[in-house]
Amino acid sequence: MRLPASMQVFERGWLSANNILFAGHDGTVLVDTGYVTHAPQTLALVRHALGGRRLDRIVNTHLHSDHCGGNAALRHAFGSRIAIPACEADRVRNWDEDALSYRATGQQCARFGFDDTVAPGDVLAMGDLSWQALAAPGHDPHALLFWCEEEGILIAGDALWQNGFGVIFPELAGEPGFDEVRATLDLIASLRPRLVIPGHGAPFTDVDGSLQRAYGRLDYLSADPVRNAENAVKVLLKFLLIERRAIPLAELEKLFDTVPLLVLARERFLPLPSAGLAQWVVRALEKAGAATVQGDLLMNEESSA
Amino acid sequence: MVPDTGLCEGCMRTIDEIVAWGRADDDYKRSVWAEIRRREAQIFD
Repeated sequence: MRLPASMQVFERGWLSANNILFAGHDGTVLVDTGYVTHAPQTLALVRHALGGRRLDRIVNTHLHSDHCGGNAALRHAFGSRIAIPACEADRVRNWDEDALSYRATGQQCARFGFDDTVAPGDVLAMGDLSWQALAAPGHDPHALLFWCEEEGILIAGDALWQNGFGVIFPELAGEPGFDEVRATLDLIASLRPRLVIPGHGAPFTDVDGSLQRAYGRLDYLSADPVRNAENAVKVLLKFLLIERRAIPLAELEKLFDTVPLLVLARERFLPLPSAGLAQWVVRALEKAGAATVQGDLLMNEESSA
Repeated sequence: MVPDTGLCEGCMRTIDEIVAWGRADDDYKRSVWAEIRRREAQIFD
């Protein structure tokens, strides 16, 4: 894997998305900033890597909590300018937590302001390279890709991972998502990237293999929207579990009555009472090796890499 | 981060190791993985 000297990838985990740091003659930029509870670590990583330079700009692929949770802390530390996808401008200006997904998912994000917006087709200078922003709807309707043609490098956010892609959230609310994911995968295939830097996991070069797995996964999920809803429920619960380390079993049922996306998934796709759904998700996470029951707690289980 | 050790609580890597990781070869990553296992054993024993 060959990266231009002006860019670095911080491979984080699931709670925090990866960060890509650019340091060029055109300034310093960080693409995506991790989850809010990891903000001190994100700040330490950026400080360490910049060695005294300040962080001039922050750019977000999309505004899910694991991608922009460090925006506020980094801006506070460095006075960085923040650029967000143009379609999100009003929601961020008014800090509409419902529309921004933080309330819907039960996740947290520190409020931040922005200076600039990025729309599909815009070209950004990062690390002395040109990056074109491209629309990548599906996982998030307003998500962007950043494509550097001269290096053949694609910053994919959650539109494509080595094995899969982010939850197709719009379908939970009855909005289209499956066709958008397919169009985004088609777009990525047409670019023929040499290297993809995903939002989670290691950068990878076997892009054809990843696209084949992603198309297969999409076929599986779109064949029955209940599968997409089940996947979303498992991923949302796993995220809360990573954040909190442990959740009392007695509280799980309440989550299915209060976290809006879980309520939506239950009401639209999973015809079980909250208690039944809580039992189902415990079994599903245990079976996947993602959690264990210890006494009256559901405990996060770190998957072995 | 754990203040005493400077390790990430999730992945048990130091700030140095996380910064180096993106450019590291497999030998480096394997050596860090071995170190991670040692740290886990130390913490959980």
